[in-house]
Amino acid sequence: MITTYQITLKIHRYDPALQKHWTQEYQVEAGRIMRFVDVLRKINDEQDPTLAWGSSCEHGQCGTCSMKINGKPLLSCELLVENAVDFFNTTTFEIEPLEVAPRIRDLIIDTEKAYERVDRVKPYVIDPAPADHDDVEENQISPEDLERYVDATRCINCFCCSSACISSHRTFLGPNAMLAAVVRVMDPREREKQQRLDVLYNENGVYRCHSSKACSFVCPKEIDVAHFIALAKEGL
Amino acid sequence: MKQQSRLGTIPGISYVQKTARNRGWPYVVAWLHRITGLMLVLYVFLHILTLSGLSDPVGFEQKMQWFQKLIPLFFDWFLAIPVIFHSLNGGRLILYELFGNRLDQPVLRGVMVGSGLYLLMLAVIMIMGDQSVSPFLFWVYFFLASILCGYLVTLRLKRSGATLLWKMQRVSGTFLFLMVPAHMLFMHLDPVIGRDAQLILTRLQSPFIKLVDLLLVVSVLYHGGYGVIGVCRDYLSFRGAQLALLVLITTLFFGFGLIGVKLLFLV
Repeated sequence: MITTYQITLKIHRYDPALQKHWTQEYQVEAGRIMRFVDVLRKINDEQDPTLAWGSSCEHGQCGTCSMKINGKPLLSCELLVENAVDFFNTTTFEIEPLEVAPRIRDLIIDTEKAYERVDRVKPYVIDPAPADHDDVEENQISPEDLERYVDATRCINCFCCSSACISSHRTFLGPNAMLAAVVRVMDPREREKQQRLDVLYNENGVYRCHSSKACSFVCPKEIDVAHFIALAKEGL
Repeated sequence: MKQQSRLGTIPGISYVQKTARNRGWPYVVAWLHRITGLMLVLYVFLHILTLSGLSDPVGFEQKMQWFQKLIPLFFDWFLAIPVIFHSLNGGRLILYELFGNRLDQPVLRGVMVGSGLYLLMLAVIMIMGDQSVSPFLFWVYFFLASILCGYLVTLRLKRSGATLLWKMQRVSGTFLFLMVPAHMLFMHLDPVIGRDAQLILTRLQSPFIKLVDLLLVVSVLYHGGYGVIGVCRDYLSFRGAQLALLVLITTLFFGFGLIGVKLLFLV
């Protein structure tokens, strides 16, 4: 059994001070169950402390470490070296930041800019419905209601779907923003639906979706994003 | 590491395989839908311009002689590839988006198999070249079936909060789903049908055929125009550029629409 791989990383780098873009190659001896975040950290420790990349939870829950590896948007904390070699059938990996927001440095993008699009759909309860029973303060959701959209609530806004989408990032708010809108329209605790519907049926909303289903294909949380956007087209 | 197949070493095929690996086959198919859509728009423009030559029947027939040669005939058949693929894949998208079909994979395979069978059938018919059918019965059948499909989609769209223009794109697409492949098939049942100017002009005297052709022209140009605008809007973020594009495309498609309608009503 192979325990280590000699891998080559071709990392797209960017220095904002010099306004310089270049691709830098790193040779790394990586253990088979090392994740790509571990490999990047190893580069920082042993070869190049200037390489900038982002991560937070490193357990596939925050979406901070999303990047494109050999063209596929994914969470680098979830990808093991062994699985990457098997999936891409190579030991050379080209690593780029997601193109969904302006770059800050190397693999780090301006997530605030990316989040602006999600914020437009107001991903929170605006006008909560009153509690449906006198003896409880909370508004309870029936299991049947929840079942319809619970999958969509697992979205971590990693923007992998947005990066993979056939529609460009210039005008489309993005599959994750659409998902956030659909969730709030389906949520029985929310009374204010119109604001979300206005965004969904806006020029930057569902009309920019062409059902290429790449969003569902790349989603690290395995959410069928395209299904929810199709529901919005059909009429929620 | 796995051995790469020989097919995968060919640059174009390797790119498609990589794209499918990273984004899934429906993503590749979505690009094919766009490309074939643009091809069909150009084809429709060319088709309308060619038919506008009917005002000079002798000149039209002389031009049409060229299409009897083997290579143009092959291109004629080749153009059926975008026609049938775009139609069937459009049907698949309607099923997915409006009829809640989530068994998309088998339908996608059906699109590929169906396209192959249609092309085979068309090739056989083109080689035989002597089939005859009653134009009235042929078009009554396909026209009513297309109207019914369009009506079913209209019913499904009632709940949707999307704009009327978007809904019309779906309805026109559904109407064309059968009409365009049927039109292509009809024109190749007997090659003489498409080349004899007098025959075309006589057929166009029928009010029913006029209605069928009128709806075909209007639906094709609306569907194509909306599709082109939609694709361009994905990439143009400036309002001014979007507006300029809207004016340009609307004028272009409206112009070709006028040529088509004029042709139908001047004969």
